[in-house]
Amino acid sequence: MSTLLRVGAAPAPFAAEAQYLDGACPRPEPVRLGIDETAQELVIARDDGIDLRWPLTAIREVPDQAGGDLFVLRLRDDPLQRLLLSDRDLAPRLPNLRCRAPVTKRRQLVLWAMAAVASVALIIGVLVPRLADQLAVFIPPEGERALGEVTLEQIRSALDQTGVAPVPLCEAPEGMAALSAMTDRLTDGQTMPLEITVSVLDHEMVNAFALPGGQVVLFRGLIDTAERPEEVAAVLAHELGHVVSRDPTRHALRSAGSIGVLGLLFGDFAGGAVVLFLAERLIDAQYTQAAEAGADAFAHDLLLAADVAPGALAEMFRRMRELGGEPEGLVAHFLSHPALGDRIEAAREATPEDFTPTPLLDDGGWSALQTICDD
Amino acid sequence: MLTLGIYRFWMKTRLRRWYWSAIRPGGQPLEYVGDPIEKLLGFLIAVVILAFYIGIVNLLLMFLSFSLFQGNGAAYLLSFLGVIPLWFYARYRARRYILARTRWRGLRFGLAPGAWGYAGRALWHWTVTLLSLGLLLPRMTFHLEKYRTDRTSYGTAMMVQGGRWQMLYPAMRPLFGAAALTGVAALALNFGPTPAPGIGLAMLAAAAAVYGLVHYRVRTLEMLTANKTLDGVALTLDASPFRILMIHVLGYLLAGVAILLPLMVLGFVIMGLHFAELATESGATQIVLLENLPRWLLIGVSAMLYFTIFLIWSALTHTFVTMPVTRHYARGLRVLNPARIEAIRQRPRDEVVQAEGFAEALDVGASI
Repeated sequence: MSTLLRVGAAPAPFAAEAQYLDGACPRPEPVRLGIDETAQELVIARDDGIDLRWPLTAIREVPDQAGGDLFVLRLRDDPLQRLLLSDRDLAPRLPNLRCRAPVTKRRQLVLWAMAAVASVALIIGVLVPRLADQLAVFIPPEGERALGEVTLEQIRSALDQTGVAPVPLCEAPEGMAALSAMTDRLTDGQTMPLEITVSVLDHEMVNAFALPGGQVVLFRGLIDTAERPEEVAAVLAHELGHVVSRDPTRHALRSAGSIGVLGLLFGDFAGGAVVLFLAERLIDAQYTQAAEAGADAFAHDLLLAADVAPGALAEMFRRMRELGGEPEGLVAHFLSHPALGDRIEAAREATPEDFTPTPLLDDGGWSALQTICDD
Repeated sequence: MLTLGIYRFWMKTRLRRWYWSAIRPGGQPLEYVGDPIEKLLGFLIAVVILAFYIGIVNLLLMFLSFSLFQGNGAAYLLSFLGVIPLWFYARYRARRYILARTRWRGLRFGLAPGAWGYAGRALWHWTVTLLSLGLLLPRMTFHLEKYRTDRTSYGTAMMVQGGRWQMLYPAMRPLFGAAALTGVAALALNFGPTPAPGIGLAMLAAAAAVYGLVHYRVRTLEMLTANKTLDGVALTLDASPFRILMIHVLGYLLAGVAILLPLMVLGFVIMGLHFAELATESGATQIVLLENLPRWLLIGVSAMLYFTIFLIWSALTHTFVTMPVTRHYARGLRVLNPARIEAIRQRPRDEVVQAEGFAEALDVGASI
């Protein structure tokens, strides 16, 4: 309570007409308003002679009224009664007009928010991956192939920044011949679960990825960065490792489940951005460490069987790490795995002491592969 | 956006308070007493439930679709069909929540529970309507409205939807006209000597169909309103289909013109990004306007523009479409026999724990 020092005459007594709704019957009741200055209460005089008294500090305004011709008041602890005034003359006398109601359901809110986060995390992190792992084995080859093709289209459109056409595939005939010679050499004598298709995307990213249905996609940037065909073959062998263990199929099924859930969370307002973001994530397929190590081991065996030194994989990894300044593509992907050094080491050690490699491509073949994107 | 869309619950609450207070049947404003926190809570509950449904069902459908049909089209179709019942369910729940939080003259409105019943009936009526090529549309309109109305209450009084579904047929006239025009246009296109008159007729038929839909909506609303009673209180609605159509056409046109400028800037930035990249790729040394700006800045600017466009669009459609349409309907609404209202008393509060969470999560129509 503040001490009031009244100088001169007391303020003119407040008087006004208003309508009162008791919240029990739907009849607006005309009332006269006055203020009891000693009790600091608003006196609501009704026709039946029974006055209502609202403490001035407990009166709140009902906000966001249209038209500006109504000043609607309520009592703090009463959800139903309303006073409708036609002007705001009373406003200066009501100190807590705009005080917010205390948040009553905070506990419940926190609980449900945590439940929502937990259930989304559970679904995206556990349930969807588990289910995807189970189902990936059962999807028939034609279905897998179709899934891969759809995914490749999505990735090509997502990578394109012109908004005109998807990123083109490189298909120079000599280059394709060199690429398929390389693939045949690697897969010769191996039993692949699927027919393998290798293609090159005309994009400067230093990256490669495997897709469902035996599709392996190399980026032009990767071929440009490699100094020997063996280095390209090493990455190819690594991706073939993913194909054999069906990692991409799992991944594609997972994202099918996750996209819907994330779309649900963000609504249409940011929906477009979310879909774009997810398409980008598809490329940067974050397989588990175990999956990566498995693909590495597979690549080592495959390269040895094809008379190529597995050390080429180490060289490629090292080159990518040196490119480090560019934080995108495969570099970022591998940098996110702390064990890259170990993987380089493992690839080096996989090469026996007395190993004599057979060259993979002749000079003509290698330069054809390097110019696969030139028309 | 800055709050990842969380603020939208507060925004909706404030917008509704404003709209409700502007609608004053018999001179007394409506009051909206919804609470953003309960909306947020309802949304979170819906997310918990729907995340399971959508995550798992999408995954299974994708698997089946690729296994059996070698494509994802079937999965999209099926997951769309799977959401339809939920969609009707969500709409009914949202209506129940909104009515439970609406007051007039101090009394609450209410809607009895029955969302699954509504979803089932809606699916059935839609099937019948589609199978009858739209001829039984009035039957659906009437029965669904009756289902909702007969469960609506104001205070202690229950609302009743009177009339028969056949009474709505006059509202179909412009739609029948549009259908006839389409037939003539098809004939003219197939058998006419030149395609020009056929194309003209087809465009006319399309315009007539658009008007027909608005006409049907407005006229049926009038007829249905005139046949609603609430303990002896009756309502009438007087609205002009043409006026409603014009508000929509002009409103969206104005909003469209207003977002044109930021859209053009956005286009320019994106083109700039592209050219900058081309220039770098081809090793060109000439200075492209946007080349020297950092990439993240450009992407940031594009994102800002993208959201600015959204904001302008939603603000302007509120100003030029939602508000005038609401005003037009509100002005045409009359309460007959208002003295009978005074016998009605307050009804207890309906908690509606999930609020309109499902509608919010599924993004079910309703602009406010």
